[in-house]
Amino acid sequence: MERMSGLLFLAATEETAVGLGVTLFFTALLVLMILALALEEKIHAKKSVIVAVFAMVSLFLGDVFHLLPLGAIELGGHEIHLPVYIPAIDWEVIAIILGSSLFVDVTSRSGLFTWIAIKLTKASRGDPLKLLWCYGIMTVVFSAVLNNVTAMIIVGSLTGVSLAKLRKSDKLLGFLLIEGLLTNVGGLLTLISSVPNIIVGNAAGISFVTFFVTAAPYVLVGTVVTLLLGAKLFTIRGLANGSEREEALRLVSSFDENDGIESRGFFWFGTVMTILFIAVIASASQLPYIEDLKLGYVALAFATIMLTRFKAVADKFYQAIDWDLLAFFAGLFIVINVMEHAHVLDLIGRGLAVVIGLGDNVSVGCILFGSAFFSSVTDNIPLAAMLAKILGSLQTDPESPLWWSVVFGANLGGNLTPIGSASTLVAVTIMHKHGVVLGFVGFIKKALPYAVVQIVLATGYVYILAMIMA
Amino acid sequence: MTKVDQFESVFRAAAKQLFEYEPYRAQKALVVTDLERAEAEELGARLRAFLSVLEAERPLEWRHVSGDEFRSVGDLLRLVADCKPDLICTYRHLHSDAWTWPHSLGEGLDVLTQATQVPVLVVPHPKAARGHIHALENTDVVMAITDHLTGDHQLVNAAAGFAEKDGTLFLTHIEDELLFTRLIETISKIPEIDTDTAREEIRTHLLAEPYDYVRSCQHILQRERPELRIDDLVVMGHRLKDYRELIDQHEVDLLIFRTKDDDQLAMKGMAYPLAVDLREIPLLML
Repeated sequence: MERMSGLLFLAATEETAVGLGVTLFFTALLVLMILALALEEKIHAKKSVIVAVFAMVSLFLGDVFHLLPLGAIELGGHEIHLPVYIPAIDWEVIAIILGSSLFVDVTSRSGLFTWIAIKLTKASRGDPLKLLWCYGIMTVVFSAVLNNVTAMIIVGSLTGVSLAKLRKSDKLLGFLLIEGLLTNVGGLLTLISSVPNIIVGNAAGISFVTFFVTAAPYVLVGTVVTLLLGAKLFTIRGLANGSEREEALRLVSSFDENDGIESRGFFWFGTVMTILFIAVIASASQLPYIEDLKLGYVALAFATIMLTRFKAVADKFYQAIDWDLLAFFAGLFIVINVMEHAHVLDLIGRGLAVVIGLGDNVSVGCILFGSAFFSSVTDNIPLAAMLAKILGSLQTDPESPLWWSVVFGANLGGNLTPIGSASTLVAVTIMHKHGVVLGFVGFIKKALPYAVVQIVLATGYVYILAMIMA
Repeated sequence: MTKVDQFESVFRAAAKQLFEYEPYRAQKALVVTDLERAEAEELGARLRAFLSVLEAERPLEWRHVSGDEFRSVGDLLRLVADCKPDLICTYRHLHSDAWTWPHSLGEGLDVLTQATQVPVLVVPHPKAARGHIHALENTDVVMAITDHLTGDHQLVNAAAGFAEKDGTLFLTHIEDELLFTRLIETISKIPEIDTDTAREEIRTHLLAEPYDYVRSCQHILQRERPELRIDDLVVMGHRLKDYRELIDQHEVDLLIFRTKDDDQLAMKGMAYPLAVDLREIPLLML
């Protein structure tokens, strides 16, 4: 992938100068696409279709203006004829997302995740406050290991069922909102926890272990603060007396954690494979051969191993893949590639260079707040992809805190609005499913204190990182 | 599994209904007959022997009502209200010769089961000679039946209370095969739903819930009533026909089921046909 990117980079630099008018025209096209993505719900169109339309238009106009490096590319001494939009896509990112979502989907059939979720529910003994902490921690861990959306689906659906069982459905809004906000905190923990992490980590060359070690202290503090604030603002308290505790324990004991396990053998296989998956992902940069094949290969390989359990019905899992998301990425990478050839990214980069030129004290905060703001109103993935590309082209040091500003801003910005991230959208969807209505403004009112605290904490944390790195 | 509904289904299925044990207690029994006093007392004595399990810890207070003590349903309800029994023992067609035609229950029993909250033990008519050879001997084989066993703690507790110490208790749930077939036929006309998967999954889940509840009953009753044997019968079938076969096959001494339905004045679901058809053995109608 790096070799491909290198080839594209060469192709881009070999181009003749592009007129400012053309660059501005393509900038307008990019702004239009971001606006369309922000208004996705209003225009009733899937992200993949919106981006695909802009990708096709960009490619066509790119050729009209002679911006695209057409012709064969050379790879390992061989000339390969590929359509110009094929090498434009970052296939490593696509492979990680495809492989890990398939892996998680198949592994979830083992009953492992539901087993953990019910075990934790029982560990809380039905006490609402303990339940909030258990679910909060579970959300963070699942977001880190799986992905934000899957984590929210698992924990959110259990929350609806268990609170109804405990006759505490009045606390559903608080629980789901806090869990939704924690998915984006947990999504900061590892390199593969969220798509912006994958994109930025890949572009900056940050290893899995470095990412984890750097992000973990913030995730810990952010989680604790969010849970304390949530318990206070939503008045989620422990049970008052013995009879309440006894009744709650009786209700929660009726959950059978083994109910979702169809085969003990597959359950243990799923457990071992999940541990191995995390271990291999964490050590991929150190493992011979794997370091060449990279994380995408690891994710696809583990998905393939898990699929052997369902080899006769594997097609059912292919149907469950989020093709909208994958097509969205493919289209997005094509648009960004065309924008690169139209020097749009250069133009934004020059603006960003001015900010960076103000020194770390200003630029770290500006980029983090800017990323958070834009992530709250539109998808954080195009933003992360664009900023990662620009920071890369500005030869930004892999140890620069600016990468972390993008990571923290892009992830946490999703907590400001319900459309800022897919997982908070899932949280709102589950609320609506249970008859709890929370509109756009209502969400912002409820989520703002948490999001502000998280972003302020993150800014302080990135400044500390900047000082340590300096 | 990538959808909220899929995970919610898994968690809902994992949330089991656990049985809550509460020993069945009765202090006063009212035997309602349309017989002469001596015959009424004779039947009362037979019933007392039949229900000796209820007096294992302390004796019941028995009150025998003979035919001359009431003439109408109103009189009967007043008798019940005055006596305040925990159990009413009677038979079909009081003060009527309609017992010769096995097509109804008689107005007295019909009203008693619905107008009072007291469990009613219905025994074969003393003149009909329809009873099984083992009927009214003892309660060493008791069967609790329902169309929704899950969560009906009172039914299971009553059934366990009426079963002899070392007897057998059958917890029975028969899903209506005809209804299920009709549902699947409808599904087979909906292109969005895979019929084979629906048939398999619906059947499995329909039976899993009562089966899990029976397991919970077994688990708790084994602790509380270690000598009582608990058997489960959770199947699909044509309910009345299947119940009759099961009763014959296991020589059931007492059949227990619910008759009250909060949504209607008439007996619930299968209760009426069961009460009319199964005349050979005693029935306890809750």
